[in-house]
Amino acid sequence: MKDKAIIFDASTIISFAMACMYEELRKLQKNFGGHFIITRDVKKEIIDKPMQIPRFQLEGIKLQELVNEKVLEFPDVLGVKDSEINIGTKKVMDIANSSFVDNRGKIKLISEGEASCVALSQILNARKIPNVLAIDERTMRSLCETPDGLKKHLERKMHTKIQVKKEKLHFFKEFKIIRSVELAYIAYKKGLIGTKGKNILSSLVNALRFKGCSISNDEIAEIKKMK
Amino acid sequence: MKEVENILRIFEEAKDAINEGNTSKIRALSDHTNNTASRTQDPDNIAVAVIIYSISKFLERENYKSYPGWKKFYKNIIVYIDKIISELKNGKEVGGTLKSMRGEIENISGKLRGYIHDVFRKAEINKASKIYEHGISLEKTANLLGITMFELAGYAGQKQENYELEANEKSLKQRIKILDNIFR
Repeated sequence: MKDKAIIFDASTIISFAMACMYEELRKLQKNFGGHFIITRDVKKEIIDKPMQIPRFQLEGIKLQELVNEKVLEFPDVLGVKDSEINIGTKKVMDIANSSFVDNRGKIKLISEGEASCVALSQILNARKIPNVLAIDERTMRSLCETPDGLKKHLERKMHTKIQVKKEKLHFFKEFKIIRSVELAYIAYKKGLIGTKGKNILSSLVNALRFKGCSISNDEIAEIKKMK
Repeated sequence: MKEVENILRIFEEAKDAINEGNTSKIRALSDHTNNTASRTQDPDNIAVAVIIYSISKFLERENYKSYPGWKKFYKNIIVYIDKIISELKNGKEVGGTLKSMRGEIENISGKLRGYIHDVFRKAEINKASKIYEHGISLEKTANLLGITMFELAGYAGQKQENYELEANEKSLKQRIKILDNIFR
């Protein structure tokens, strides 16, 4: 297996799980020939917590199976220790949660799971191990790609002026981010989707969207044309 | 508790609206709590958001009023709102009272108990979805409300119709290219 990785945050795994795309994840990982990685903090959100709640226990069990089968692996498989990730996670959280400030103080935007994925990506970048982050939820992606857009969004929604400490946010520029819908598209193009049918691609994209993947109407129209 | 004056106003207006049976006003007041809850992320402010929204839901459902225990339940709501207003006016912390309020109104016997519990749970998910809409991350929001990311992702996913790409956000094609490159 090659030293390359897709790092999944909880939101992306949850989209796949709730759309029942476990088999597609297995096939994608095999086809990828690298590692699908989750951090320990992400595991808490996608396996440990749902295991305690009857309504989501089945998802927890099925995701644990993916871990048992090594479809989803932990960072140590790439030689990264949890202690290194913990240090990085704290750093990412400190930066993210102190960069947007209103008249009452810092706005805390993210938690450990999301921060740990970014921390891991930074460690892999430093070691020249190719990697991308798979993030379905909007805030972490905006923080990395469009902090000005996030500022405007926060101002619009919170009805307050926000100051951004831009010098801190340069930290987030280096990360490459994809979503579950792009992974579904790749699975479709590679013939890895088990179910066949005329509208299967748009059905997959809509399923992922309604399970939480942030995608615009224009993008959905675009993906349908890309068939 | 942050923004005490605003919260006091919300409880005072909610009390009037309850007396008038004006559920749409209570609902609107509940919307006013979203902003404070998102900005402060203070547990008491979040509890207020959940309680006010839940009250609007309890009162909207006419059939609840015929269930045994309703009168006691309704009385408890009023008693606790009065207590909270009084404590806020006297500069006291209301965290404990908010907790007792929820505990006591949930501690009801019979059929109503299950419904009340369900309304509170849905109120937590609804408020989480509002906080997520404000720009706080999915995981952070789920943790603030004590719900799972699965619950929040499913609920938030239903409300994605208005999602639009930000300027400079990577396009679908750019992301597919990133994936194509790493899959090679």
